Amino acid sequence: MDLLSLILRLIVDTSASWLRMFIALFFSVIIGMLVGIYAAISDRAAKIILPVVDVLQTLPILAFFPFVIFVVVSVLPGSIGINTAVIFLIITSMLWNIIFGAYEAVRTLPKEMVEVADLYRFSGFDKLRKIFIPASIPRVIEQTRLSWAIGLFYLVTSEIFSVGNSKYQVTYGIGAALVTLGATNIYYYFIGIAVFIAFLIATILFFFNPLEKRFSLDETRDVDVMGYKRAAALVSTVRKISYVERATKLLVSGSTKIGRSGARFAMRARAPYPGNNRPVKKERSGRFSRYMPYAVAVAVILISGYFAIQSNILQYEGEVLIALFATLARVWVAYAVILLVALPLCVYLLFISGNKSRYTSTFQIIASIPATILMPLIVIAFKDMPFGPNIVAFLIFFLSGVWYVIFGITSNSGVLKSIIEVKNVFGVKGKDAWKRIYIGAVLPGLITGSITAIAAEWNASIVAEYFTSSGISGTGSTVITSVGYGMGKLLDLALNANNIGLLALAIINMILMIYLINFFVWKKLYKRVADYYK
Amino acid sequence: MDSILAVEHVSFGFEDSGIEVIEDVSFKVNEGEFVSIIGPSGCGKSTLLRIIAGLIPPKKGKVYYAGKKVGGPAHGMGFVFQDFALMPWLTNLENIKIGLALTDFEEDKKNDIAIGLMNKLGLGGLGMQYPNSLSGGMKQRVGIARAIAAAPNVLLMDEPFSALDELTAENLRSDIVYMLESQDISVKSIIMVTHNVEEAVELSDRVIVLSNKPSHLKRIEQIKHKRPRDRKAAWFGNMESDIYADLTG
Repeated sequence: MDLLSLILRLIVDTSASWLRMFIALFFSVIIGMLVGIYAAISDRAAKIILPVVDVLQTLPILAFFPFVIFVVVSVLPGSIGINTAVIFLIITSMLWNIIFGAYEAVRTLPKEMVEVADLYRFSGFDKLRKIFIPASIPRVIEQTRLSWAIGLFYLVTSEIFSVGNSKYQVTYGIGAALVTLGATNIYYYFIGIAVFIAFLIATILFFFNPLEKRFSLDETRDVDVMGYKRAAALVSTVRKISYVERATKLLVSGSTKIGRSGARFAMRARAPYPGNNRPVKKERSGRFSRYMPYAVAVAVILISGYFAIQSNILQYEGEVLIALFATLARVWVAYAVILLVALPLCVYLLFISGNKSRYTSTFQIIASIPATILMPLIVIAFKDMPFGPNIVAFLIFFLSGVWYVIFGITSNSGVLKSIIEVKNVFGVKGKDAWKRIYIGAVLPGLITGSITAIAAEWNASIVAEYFTSSGISGTGSTVITSVGYGMGKLLDLALNANNIGLLALAIINMILMIYLINFFVWKKLYKRVADYYK
Repeated sequence: MDSILAVEHVSFGFEDSGIEVIEDVSFKVNEGEFVSIIGPSGCGKSTLLRIIAGLIPPKKGKVYYAGKKVGGPAHGMGFVFQDFALMPWLTNLENIKIGLALTDFEEDKKNDIAIGLMNKLGLGGLGMQYPNSLSGGMKQRVGIARAIAAAPNVLLMDEPFSALDELTAENLRSDIVYMLESQDISVKSIIMVTHNVEEAVELSDRVIVLSNKPSHLKRIEQIKHKRPRDRKAAWFGNMESDIYADLTG
């Protein structure tokens, strides 16, 4: 393949991926805005919508992809079905923060505005058209940057996944193209990455930046000045070459926006620091919620008892549980390593270096590239080592999750300046500083970051634990990486074997596990944090 | 009288913009003195206080505390923050004990000191609660307790009453004056940054008036009248108008 036709092919692939992204973004904005506004104006709707959205955004939806693609393709065969499934999946990743954005925008609207509308007898539709939609547009547009970043991870991962299953492969897509190139010619693969990054930067510069400038309510925030300052720090060594400087400036200002909105997203729902204007949700009172998890546990036992009568379900359940715990172990080992790396790093950035923006902008550039894109490289480097497939899965998990923890923590700097001064003026150091200052200061951001990070790890499992070359070579299928047991592997295999029962059972088990972990781990930690801010 | 603290030819500017914020400011603080630094908003008076505290190095000039050059946060100076700067995740008691981080007392001794201060400042029984359950005035009392826990000689206060309502502020002001004059606490001298002329005239032995950017020393006003001072007295009003004229002129 000559270089020009390779690049043309890659541009076609990336355009196809981007088309899916824009279609998904379009639907996400419309649905998200309407649902968010509805939740904001109706207390009764809010009681249902907000908790449901809260749960949905912690689910690793990508892990349900095999199930979704199976169902959709059986209804809509061929490439239309696969594309519908991919777009549907991207919507499920983009939607949630847009709903919260629209909800917050309308909730924080001055009451007088609605009163004026009532005074002049606006109809419901007029209120929507003239007040609620215009009021929520700036917030929603702000959120679309983050939606784009998350969606890109889902898109690339789902395309890569489709390559491993020739039946379900997308015809054009940069994620698919990259793994194919990675398996055949590593030099072409790097060209593919370059094209991908070029598209990413162009989208930010020519779509998101103008859009936000057009609709932003905050006149004081100057997008370019901010980016330039950081860029200047980065390119000081190559200052003389002006085009390098300019390119870096564009790159940094673009990626900074994505990173920052990522950070804002992590802050959005939960961290009860000032600056987050969504009120900390009150714990639902009453016996119902307190005994809910126990009720769920009992229900699980009863249902599994019922299914146990049918022997193959029992056998499936055994398989599912082994796979579930294997992946759970991998995910949490990777998470533990993420903590070991991210905590000292963030403490250094926030409390010691005094110049966190210089470093975070570098991170933001790297972080806006979906980790799963590096799959081919990691596989080549590690697959022949002992425990190779486990190392591959571990590394992908680590790379998928680590940024969420870092951005979750570093974005939490609203109260930091005076805390650093207290630490310095009273001379709090070493172990004492960790115990009394660092841990407390980073905890809210750490929790939100961790939940998103762990969800991202589970998402990555469908390609990181098991991957075959069936879509690459076209004939037969070579296993490229495969762990012994794992949920991602089980879902992949079940899809290939058209085993709908196993897919459904695996998903039920995953939902239960996530629900129980949310309840017994994260909710407890949240409650502790919320207690400080009562 | 001996001077306990000396500010000598201190200048400060922000590096990236190159704009001078503080220009050649010198003054001394004597033992037993209450000094207020007043100036138009944004004139760099809080920055000046942080330079004195050793939190920020000056661009030019030096600060001496008890005869020694200040090169970093110094033992012997306490700091009270405008926004209280309490750690929301620590109990009030633990927040006060932050002030004892540099001492090598046993944990029991630290607890005793913190509880003693809480009782003295009207915070008795609130040790196990978190700061966010307190009113603004109570939070600032925790902030003051933290600042004086390690028995400093000098107390630096950065607009300590500006986040409080007038009634609460008045109460706290008179408590501080009482503590200073009854020599109930270790603090011998106080430097307070404020933008409130009335407050400065009511409390201080000396008022240092800074000009607008770049701020330099515009005037030093000695006040010999005994505290508590009558705000309706003729001298009070005259001095207030003089300082106002300096600030706005």
